[in-house]
Amino acid sequence: MDPVLSVRDLSVALTLPGRERTILDAIGFDVAPREIVGVVGASGAGKTVLSRAVVNWIAAPLAIRSGHVSFRGTDLLGLPPRAMRRLRRDIAYVGADPMGALDPTLPVGRQIVEKLRAVMPDVSRREAQARVIALLDAVRIPSATARFHDYPSQFSGGMMQRALIVDAMVSNPALLVADNVTQPLDVTVAAQVIRLMRELTERFETAILFVSSSLPVAREAASRTLVIDQGRLVEEQPTEALIAAPRHAYTRELVAQIPVIWGERPSLPAVPRAAGARPTDAIISLRDVSQTYRVKRRGSFAATSDLRAVRNVTFDIVKGDSFAVVGESGCGKSTLMRLLSRLERPSAGQVLCEGRDIARLSGAELLGFRRKLQLVLQDPFNSLPPRTGIGAMLEAPLRIHGWRDPRKIRERVRAVMDDVGLPVALYDELPLGLSAGQRQRINVARAMVLEPEILLMDETLSALDQTEQFKLLALFEKLQRAHGLTYIYISHDLAMVRKACNRIAVMYLGEVVELADNERLFFDPGHPYTRALLSAMPALEARRFRPEDCLMEGEPPSPIDLPQGCAFRSRCPQAFEACLHHPPFLTVRGARDLAACHRVPGAGAALLAGAA
Amino acid sequence: MFVLSFLARRLAQGAVIIFLVSLLIFTLLRVMSGNPVRQMVGGMAPDSLVEEIATTMGLRDPIIVQFGRYAAGVVQGDLGRSFVRPANGAATGGANFDDLTRGARAGVGDLILDALPMTLQLAALALAIALAFSALLGIAAGLRPGGVFDRLAFAVSSLFISIPNFWLGIVLALLLSVKLGWLPAIGYGGFSYTVLPALVLAVELSPVLIRTLSSAVAAQMGEAYVAAAQVRGLSRPRIVAAHALRNASVPLLNLLGVQFSSLLGGVIIVEYIFDYPGLGLLTINAVLQRDFPLIQGIAIVTSAIFVLINILVDLAATTIDPRLEY
Amino acid sequence: MDAVETFPKRSQSKWMPVRRKRARQSKNLEPCSIAERADPAPALAPPRVDVTASRSIGRRILDRAARSGGFRIGALLLAGLVLAAALYPELSGIDPAMRDIRARLLPPLFLGDKWSWAHPLGTDQIGRDMLVRCLVGLRYSLLIGVASVAVTVVIGCALGTVAGYFGGRTDTVIMRITDAQLSIPMIILAIAVLGADRPTIPAIILVLGLSNWPVYARVMRSVVMAERGREYVRAAQVSGATHPRILLTLLVPLLVPPLLFTSVLDVARMMIFESTLGFLGLGVQPPTPTFGSIIADGRKYLLNAWWIATMPGVFLCLTLTSINLIGAAFERARNSIHGGA
Repeated sequence: MDPVLSVRDLSVALTLPGRERTILDAIGFDVAPREIVGVVGASGAGKTVLSRAVVNWIAAPLAIRSGHVSFRGTDLLGLPPRAMRRLRRDIAYVGADPMGALDPTLPVGRQIVEKLRAVMPDVSRREAQARVIALLDAVRIPSATARFHDYPSQFSGGMMQRALIVDAMVSNPALLVADNVTQPLDVTVAAQVIRLMRELTERFETAILFVSSSLPVAREAASRTLVIDQGRLVEEQPTEALIAAPRHAYTRELVAQIPVIWGERPSLPAVPRAAGARPTDAIISLRDVSQTYRVKRRGSFAATSDLRAVRNVTFDIVKGDSFAVVGESGCGKSTLMRLLSRLERPSAGQVLCEGRDIARLSGAELLGFRRKLQLVLQDPFNSLPPRTGIGAMLEAPLRIHGWRDPRKIRERVRAVMDDVGLPVALYDELPLGLSAGQRQRINVARAMVLEPEILLMDETLSALDQTEQFKLLALFEKLQRAHGLTYIYISHDLAMVRKACNRIAVMYLGEVVELADNERLFFDPGHPYTRALLSAMPALEARRFRPEDCLMEGEPPSPIDLPQGCAFRSRCPQAFEACLHHPPFLTVRGARDLAACHRVPGAGAALLAGAA
Repeated sequence: MFVLSFLARRLAQGAVIIFLVSLLIFTLLRVMSGNPVRQMVGGMAPDSLVEEIATTMGLRDPIIVQFGRYAAGVVQGDLGRSFVRPANGAATGGANFDDLTRGARAGVGDLILDALPMTLQLAALALAIALAFSALLGIAAGLRPGGVFDRLAFAVSSLFISIPNFWLGIVLALLLSVKLGWLPAIGYGGFSYTVLPALVLAVELSPVLIRTLSSAVAAQMGEAYVAAAQVRGLSRPRIVAAHALRNASVPLLNLLGVQFSSLLGGVIIVEYIFDYPGLGLLTINAVLQRDFPLIQGIAIVTSAIFVLINILVDLAATTIDPRLEY
Repeated sequence: MDAVETFPKRSQSKWMPVRRKRARQSKNLEPCSIAERADPAPALAPPRVDVTASRSIGRRILDRAARSGGFRIGALLLAGLVLAAALYPELSGIDPAMRDIRARLLPPLFLGDKWSWAHPLGTDQIGRDMLVRCLVGLRYSLLIGVASVAVTVVIGCALGTVAGYFGGRTDTVIMRITDAQLSIPMIILAIAVLGADRPTIPAIILVLGLSNWPVYARVMRSVVMAERGREYVRAAQVSGATHPRILLTLLVPLLVPPLLFTSVLDVARMMIFESTLGFLGLGVQPPTPTFGSIIADGRKYLLNAWWIATMPGVFLCLTLTSINLIGAAFERARNSIHGGA
């Protein structure tokens, strides 16, 4: 069969005044009809440029230097704009930025109709509308007819990505270029979107070029995979063969970097806890903590709604723990971080630090608490003040906490820099030009300089690549051993949590739905949401949980209109009668683990007793 | 439902704003003013008469009482009576102190109502000219940043923004009216008298419009959805007309709302230069004659208009862009 | 060039890097901006907008602006005018208020038949030298323009910063006052206040300064609100820094300088405002000459001595153009460095 897409000797360069940099270097491959071809590579490898070149979307300062992109025998790169526009019916593109892809001021449905009629002028408006609604329904957008008239801002990211897939598929194209479509989405939603794309392409007989920075994600979708490194095509194999027997060194590295979850047990940080540690050792305790924000209700005179970001959270963090709070966007973990660091005070409940309610602290006591608990932030580029020298940055906390002697301050700062592995030569430098890893070290140093007992890590490692992550985790482990620190990780990255933490709280819609030790959580989770998360994790090993069994369609409900009963029931494959009416409570499973699900043995009994 | 609650909320806010404005103006004028009665009755009147009139007019009461009385009147639609102007319409009064009675002086409300339509006509024409001109230049500039039109727009707006309106008015009157005789300049005797002042106002208004439009259009053309639309198969004219301009009109609308007070400032000067019988001339004369009730009335009316215009602007903007919420 | 991929999946301020990405792909960038953006090894460069620059933002805006032709012309012109205003009246020894009946209504150089080198811009109806009068007018105009903008900036920035940083009720109250102030056509207030009494220079500065602050308050509020959510501010909070400390040592030094560049344009606006007041007789009072009052006087002689009204206008126009060119160059530079923000 003739390939639908055939790329030969494609080179693209970034042209700057006076110099040029090659982005893609002599790329060549074919895509057969109805085939799904994956393209993987690190960020910056040129994948996005490749996917744009395929749809003839290369604009200055990028320039095609050589090669052809042939679609059914027609070279796209030489086509005049008008002819190219006619071909857009057959070549569709979905990008990584769903929220920016449509005009924010017009209803989504109307814009899809507009596109359909632009590429297929003979379709009547009514016909187009019917077709769009049918497709929106097919991608499982709930109440598609009503959603047709909604604006982009009213869609969630996952919903919008589905709508854009409709937009791409509505003209029944022969080729779809999907550029990192799952990148902005939460793992559970991303898994649904990939499943959806596979279904659609079967139905419409569309070939897909599936570009992704994650090999496990590409594996979910593609039957054959290309690996790109620094603009070169380094390997091309059927996906399973590629994973089983990578030939090129870069591919081997890529495969080796994918974290192992269920295989050999990763070394856990040494937890210096006395045998039979009692819960009274808790350094931080949350007691029924809730945080409710008041948001203005749209289209009302002065009415407000309550957004319940965190609901009745109770747990203890024991001294020396590496505690993790995991969950997807909107689950309340960032709010919890602000509560723990007393950037906010809870609207109900207490956050206790060594038995004292931190909301009540002020003045010197508050400073004392601040010295005890420090925050390491998420974004290495956002979290350092832009024009302060590194030394000065690290001195600032000391000065705030009353250090006066410049010599001592300098000494302390040097000691900390040494501790976290920053060259002391950086003392008077600005943080410019430092790598993300180095910047994150500055962040750690800034937190460590006050010799805290607890470090709160807000997505600290998520901006780093695997290698850097390993290095920093090793550093954290060293620091923990040396200073007896307690870590609280706030994260969405289960693989990192698996490596670094001994106790894990899983949050969904503001609640802790499961609280368990590492091993138990990954091998025998008690809550269906934890299983869903584990099933959607990008991984190369044999899964213990399959997305098909663990996750239904749909997205988390809004924290403003919480459903009655269990918050997860709308997405839970095991929901039954009781979940509709009664919210489940955290129920003990075994010695120290808890899960909030009616299916947990014992939970039902309490409920039945209550009902009877 | 949305529109109704929006209007209710905004009108309530507007009422608060107008109240604040009138309180501020009222207090300021009472504190700043010398003795308005002296001004009213003329220098020849005996002090006792001045004091008597002042007392009967309530000018010797505490300011808060005066304001209460005034506000009560405003709520009933009574903006008070001019200190200076007689009801028969002559511009100045007060030469003879003995024939002045309160009843014979013109109502502030009537004076404003007479002048307002003239000013609206002037403002509308000026706005139309400015918008047409700026739209042409601004959109052309925004579509090709760095191009010829962009540079032209930059030069034109730099020049226009540097011309004081009163000076331009004088020069244009000298050229177009006195030397060339194309347009009438002074006073009002028909629509053609509006053109010259409107031109001057349009020159004053257009620089900001041009810059806002060109940068808004340029910003929209750089948005992701524009690039995406091209890949989705929409034609460039369609992208520009149906999407980019639609989005770019929101900042323009907001600008128009905020620019109202500078438009009014321009109107005042231009009407003064061209002796155009509108609200601006009325304002200047009121200030020069220290006709405080009239100044107050004008301030309240204009801030009410400002509030209304901004409600309309916001309503239009929310209709265009549903993400906005006020 | 996978700019999309280089920022972390859950970066707090999602839209900032995306904006930058768009800017990079936009077709119509000036060449220098591409160089600037793509300079530090494009693919590896973190997609940050403003903060990774090696020099301070203010410095970069200045440098970028100084490269534009408009800025150079404007700066040269302004420097010449300021020098002339500072030196010429003293050097020439001509008193701007000195009458000379013999030299009445002399035209400017080379125009008409009675021109003289002693009075390059001619004289007015009572023989005062137009050039000196214009230059003295320029002094006051500049003084009032700069001083009133300073008042505006201080008040506007202070209120805007407080409103944006603390939010909540403080914000609501300050923003209501701002709205009310915006809704009074300031010219009415200004002429009402100045008309009520004999205007003095401090009064004029104060009135003009008070008329414009809401604009600054709004801008400052929005940038402070955006910056307040940035992580380094949070880090400072957690390390125990007090609010005034964060405001004064972190936010104000970072956010106010870029705003100052835009305020150059306001100097020009204020000068127009000042001359308007002078024209209405509500500005600096005679015998001190101001642009506005000279033009107002000259109007009566428009037909037989056109230069009296037009020359100060040309002068004012030149000054304003030079300031506006500088201001616009600053604004453009600022916008291109801030990525259109």
